[in-house]
This record gives sequence, C-alpha cells and structure tokens, in this order.
Amino acid sequence: MNETCCRELKVGQVVPEFKIEAYDPLKGDFREISSESLKASGKWIILFFFPAAFTFV
Amino acid sequence: MGAEVITVSTDTKYVQLAWQREEKMLKDVKYPMGSDPSGKLSKLFGVYDEEKGLDLRGTFIISPAGIILNAEVNFYNMGRNIEELMRKFKANLHMSKKTHEVCPSKWKEEGDQTLSPTPQMAGKVHEALEKK
Repeated sequence: MNETCCRELKVGQVVPEFKIEAYDPLKGDFREISSESLKASGKWIILFFFPAAFTFV
Repeated sequence: MGAEVITVSTDTKYVQLAWQREEKMLKDVKYPMGSDPSGKLSKLFGVYDEEKGLDLRGTFIISPAGIILNAEVNFYNMGRNIEELMRKFKANLHMSKKTHEVCPSKWKEEGDQTLSPTPQMAGKVHEALEKK
C-alpha cells in the first residue's frame, strides 16, 4: 500500500494500490486480494468494513 | 448482482475462517472476508478507530476503474440498510451507461425518472420532475 497510509480517501478519488489477505468461503481457503486483481476483474466492488468477527449487527 | 462484495475487519484471516464456520447465519456466505490487522486499509478509508483497534461500519462502492463513488460510515451500534446500498449501486450502474443523466434522490430502480441537466433546468428541477 506504499506511502498512502495517512491520507484518507474521498469520494471521487481512485483507490491506490493495496493488498490484504482474506478467507474465501467459496474455496474454503485463504487468498490475497489486491487492487490490481480487483481492477483486472473489471467488476464493481462493494467494500464492507465491520468492527469484528463474532459480533452482532 | 454484478458486483464483488468484500468484507473487511481487523481480525486475522484465521478468525474470519473460524467465524464463518461456526456461525450458522454465515453458512451461505460467498464473498471473501478480508483481514486488515494492521488497520492500514481501514485507515486509508477513514474507518479505523485507533482507540479500539476496530473498524467502523464503512461501506464503499468502487467503480471498475477503481474510483470511489459512494461512502457511508455508521457507528458501531447501527447496522446498514442493504436496500439503500443496492439503490446506490443500481444508480451507479445506470449512470455509468448514461453518463449525461443524474439520479434524483427518489430514484429507486431502472425505469424511474432521471434528469439530464440543461441550463434551462436550473431553478426548474421541480417542474422537470413533474413532467413525467
């Protein structure tokens, strides 16, 4: 994710490079999600942040 | 639906796995559950709570070109309305195909009235919306 850590994004801006690990229930396996792979998919993305696993809402 | 949903929390990927396997409400979950234990991605999106080390309930719609088109952040105690999220998503899809149109606040789905702004419409939005 380079040096962009402290500058918050705003609507209208392009998401910079990032890379996170993920659990993929479809495959029952871990995988990496990166800005690059998302762009390559050509899909719309809905990014859904939530506080913590095992919580309630 | 045509969009890839990705959830993110500050849990490790092992916790995401354990939660998805344990909680029966999540047994049909098909989207990847992202792990951001350092909070880097969460900080980038402005949803990271430094004091708690947790993420606020942030929702972002990102176009295929990587542009953030909508942002909504709720505090811990409020869940999200998926209908409103879908409304925004559908509106984005519509406008990405008809780039001269804009979606009024009451637009709900394909077929509902949109506006194509012109100089003549300035100050006459009410009349433009009544026309149909």
